Amino acid sequence: MITLGIDVGGTFTDLALWDARRQVLAVFKLPSVPEDPARGILDGLTTLTAREAVRPAELTFVAHGTTVATNALLEHKGARTALVTTRGFRDLLEIARQKRPHLYDLQADKPEPLVPRHRRREVRERLAWDGTVIDKLSLEDVGDALESLAREDVEAVAVCFLYSFVDATHERLAGAEIRERLPGCFVSLSAEVSPEFREYERLSTTVANAYLGPLVSRYVQRFGHEVERLGIRQPPYINQSNGGIISVAAAAQAPVRTLLSGPSAGVMGAAWLSRAAGIESIITFDMGGTSTDVARVEHGRPAITPQRTIAGHTVRVPSLEIETVGAGGGSIAWVDPGGALRVGPTSAGAHPGPACYGRGGTAATVTDANVVLGRLSSTQLLDGRMLLQREPAEQAIAELGKDLGVSPVDAARGVLSVVQNNMLGAIRVVSVRKGYDPRAYTLVAFGGAGPLHAATLARDLGVRRVLVPPAPGILCALGLLAAPLRLDLVRTRVTPLDGAALAGLAQGFEELERQASAWLDREGVAPGQRRLLRAFDMRYVGQNFELTVEAPDGASPTDAGALRGAFLREHERVYGYAAADEAVQIVACRLTAFGDREPPALAALARAAGADPGEAQTGERAVYFEDAGGFVATPIYRRERLRAGHRLCGPAIVEQMDSTTVLLGGQEAAVDERANLVVVTGGA
Amino acid sequence: MDRITLDVIGAALLSIAEEMGEALIKSSYSTNIKERQDCSTALFNVRGEVVAQAEHIPMHLGSLIMIVHEILKRYPVERLHEGDVFVGNDPYTGGSTHLPDITVASPVFADGVPVGFVANIAHHADGSGRQTHSIWDEGLRIPPIRIVEGGRLREDVMELVLLNFRLPRERRADFRAQFAANRLGAARLQELVQRYGRDTCVAAMDASLAYGERRIRAAVRSIPDGAYGFEDWMDDDGVGGPPVPLRVRITVSGDRIALDFTGTGAQVPGDINVVYLALVATVYYVLKAVLDPEVPANGGFYRAIDVTAPAGSLVNAQPPAPVAWRTQTCQRVADLILGALAPALPARVTAATNGANSAWVFSGTNPATGEYYVYLETIGGGSGARATKDGLDAVQVHVTNTSNLPVECLEMEYPLVVEEYALVPDSGGAGRFRGGLGIRRTVRVLGHDTTFLGTLERQRVAPWGLRGGGEGGRGALLLLSPGMATPRELGSKVAGVRLEAGDVVTIVTPGAGGYGPPAERAPALRARDARDGKVSSA
Repeated sequence: MITLGIDVGGTFTDLALWDARRQVLAVFKLPSVPEDPARGILDGLTTLTAREAVRPAELTFVAHGTTVATNALLEHKGARTALVTTRGFRDLLEIARQKRPHLYDLQADKPEPLVPRHRRREVRERLAWDGTVIDKLSLEDVGDALESLAREDVEAVAVCFLYSFVDATHERLAGAEIRERLPGCFVSLSAEVSPEFREYERLSTTVANAYLGPLVSRYVQRFGHEVERLGIRQPPYINQSNGGIISVAAAAQAPVRTLLSGPSAGVMGAAWLSRAAGIESIITFDMGGTSTDVARVEHGRPAITPQRTIAGHTVRVPSLEIETVGAGGGSIAWVDPGGALRVGPTSAGAHPGPACYGRGGTAATVTDANVVLGRLSSTQLLDGRMLLQREPAEQAIAELGKDLGVSPVDAARGVLSVVQNNMLGAIRVVSVRKGYDPRAYTLVAFGGAGPLHAATLARDLGVRRVLVPPAPGILCALGLLAAPLRLDLVRTRVTPLDGAALAGLAQGFEELERQASAWLDREGVAPGQRRLLRAFDMRYVGQNFELTVEAPDGASPTDAGALRGAFLREHERVYGYAAADEAVQIVACRLTAFGDREPPALAALARAAGADPGEAQTGERAVYFEDAGGFVATPIYRRERLRAGHRLCGPAIVEQMDSTTVLLGGQEAAVDERANLVVVTGGA
Repeated sequence: MDRITLDVIGAALLSIAEEMGEALIKSSYSTNIKERQDCSTALFNVRGEVVAQAEHIPMHLGSLIMIVHEILKRYPVERLHEGDVFVGNDPYTGGSTHLPDITVASPVFADGVPVGFVANIAHHADGSGRQTHSIWDEGLRIPPIRIVEGGRLREDVMELVLLNFRLPRERRADFRAQFAANRLGAARLQELVQRYGRDTCVAAMDASLAYGERRIRAAVRSIPDGAYGFEDWMDDDGVGGPPVPLRVRITVSGDRIALDFTGTGAQVPGDINVVYLALVATVYYVLKAVLDPEVPANGGFYRAIDVTAPAGSLVNAQPPAPVAWRTQTCQRVADLILGALAPALPARVTAATNGANSAWVFSGTNPATGEYYVYLETIGGGSGARATKDGLDAVQVHVTNTSNLPVECLEMEYPLVVEEYALVPDSGGAGRFRGGLGIRRTVRVLGHDTTFLGTLERQRVAPWGLRGGGEGGRGALLLLSPGMATPRELGSKVAGVRLEAGDVVTIVTPGAGGYGPPAERAPALRARDARDGKVSSA
């Protein structure tokens, strides 16, 4: 068995290949080709397989994390899309929730609607909230709409009617008409894309899906063909925002489900490696060049959010709950009009990059601050493929210090503390604000800059343990090797929680289960690898917020009391109180189908003769530590030379090809047999 | 003291306010706080100055500035205890800017000595379909009183308070969330003091205030010195009377700015009066928006601005003037200040927005459940055209930013059907850049009688354009009963209107003014508006 994970980001394309026969994990990093991502992939695939003496045809599994959908949305480069909707509501797409984009900035703009007003058509049809037909669908109106749209060269059509989540008949009829009269058009029905209530969110999601449809389906299909042409018999998979993979054919139908394809693979990778190390509950800290992603994983399962906003567009499909901060290693530090130090969101990017790259950048970045404080080696990055220069970094930081009226070292300290504070905020969002205490978690640091900042973050949060995986820079590609197949299904019916309602719910679940098994059959998932998860969206009557509560014993519940109890416990945990005597409603049933896959059984790292890591030490340099109040002579270790059982005492620096780990004084790190660096902070 | 450390603590103080806000929204019960986020949180120093605030609507910018002072006036600091919580809502004793906004404030102690205060304000939408004629008509007035004493809830006071509300269970749950948000804020502030020490934390609070002041003064210096005046007119006095003048004179000299509202009409019999706190909130909002959207909302920012208005005027109302719908006037005052600053800062202001807080309230008994219901919704409109681009269509502007209620939630809950939710073509003022469009929302009453309240502004006086830009469309309230051929205009502010099954009400909200001469509009923009049907004759 030889499996391959491919993650394409804005800057790099990463590949991770696992050869189970030889027990070898091989990784490769090359620059992305933004104008044709598939070419970057094929180059990387060809080079890596040749290097590892593997024929592409021998690959038994290929999975891909992609930013094609995200970029199309950010850059407004999707298809010419039309909308067909209930009479009286075509402007909902623009009105949205009526809120303005920024509370104070009078120059801020709303995102350009993905379908302009003149391509939005209204048709007579209307259901009441309980599904009663008030007005039957006027096929005449649909016909008129399509006739005019036919002249508009549309490539995609979204259909969204009020209450289609209760009864999709009208949408299906309209969809059939569109397929017949506008052949070749990509069609999205809201009842299929996001069958949930609240019309704006459903509409926005359906429109985004249609808008991305033609482009993403072309891309993933081409990717599928190229893979096939290389002789790889097993059709490839695409990663989704929910951290699970799906066939190319399915991804082509649901591009809106791939908007977090890349970052979610990193979370899955972190969850897998931590679990293998016996750690179940983690907070992931993925800090790259321009942004940082943070997520919470509970008992091996990443937290899921039902909805998020991307580039100003609301998308309601289950996604990993990833909080993104616009700050990374390349983020630029600046002084605001009141004289305060700020960092980001502007980034120096890869070109010119931080001042220390020596490519002409003069702005002080987070990376430059790390260089000035001795935390980052001024000699090399990417194993000497890239040199960091101390002098321009010092110059840039000194300039910043002048603006602030402080010494260069204080300016560098300031930059790190501002960034640190931004990161703390993001971690609070995924933990404290959701009712979880971060101190009960292990921080898993990855991305090029994650391990540099994790130790201080952990100390400030009171987190006791940090795990740095062996190859922090390619964790997203690695995560794809372990990701399960995953399909999220939902059925929305607002019903009181009582015994009679449960019978109806059981029926609803049966319907979802039928859909799930049909999908698992199509994907060829063996019976032993199938797993179903049942959950409910519930709320108190009159509340306008739902909580997703898992079915207490995983099965379709037969006991209203038990389900109610589960809701009350969740309400208490999230909101801090629960009213025992108030009426509870069920809003939706959720069924998630998994096709589990065996993750690679990575070979154990050779054991060290003793705990002393002296053999891995490459030298010593002066590094600034806040607690010491100055520069301290600090041992530098080489990550690749560390062996299982080695123990390191902070202050210390561990360097490797794509990342640097900082240990504070008083912190200890142990190397485990899976080559993870496990830092114990000894904190609160 | 090390300034980097002060900055770190300053950021942490803001995080505390934000975290309190998140907790309040998460744990509150009512739709208005939870879904529409009509609430704000703040942290104060021991002198009662706002050090950090997380406001979710700008109306709350000034709403909290008096609460600690009013508490200290009644309860000297030596009589305060750890675990005390004060509650207040009266606009005439610093509690808020109208009665539904209820403030909850708590002193924070570290080692037995007060180190600051935390407070939050939340809009308790308990429903009122009535028109009010004095503050006594508007509900229970609560001066700052101690509702929790040393951690123990005074059940008698709570009972008195709850007895005055229609939905006491919901109110109790919202109060519980407000208390909990303060407890969280207090704990966080105590952790900070424990970590950095009292003196350092106090110095950081002072540094935050100094920073806010420095920043806004730097922005004020960018306004050319001079005196800038503007005049506009409210549609009426709130009860169908004549238009009421609004006047401001803004004087800028170096880093000092003063706004004087002398010349504004006297307070009115209708419920659109503005207390001084609401006036300063509006001023703070506009100056932040125009001068520096990122300036921190704290006492340092506030002390750089001087606001005067004659006592007894519409914008400095005295008891017992009714204030329930003060937002109508605040929206107009915000436009007024933009108009005054236009000659000085033409690239930063906008033309007049829809300038209203268009709203309606339906209240009655749901025939399906037999339960009393109150459905309140505020509806956005156009935002003013800008120097380099069109105004935004269909948004909430200025001091409010509440979201709509989804049709699929509304109809599930209330015996009403929404028939239309649309942009109003031609309501954007013409110009080189077009004003934003207003909204039409139409509701049909199903199988029961209901009581209706509607409140609008700019039904008579249209939103003005800037530098040759045209006026935006006016608002309207329309009623179409079964058997009527054409709808009837209800007026600008109506209450107690009896609606019957089958009646259809439409609210048309105002558009906004245009910017620059219409003749200079780029052909591509004209063509787009014509194609999109946003302008019928372009």
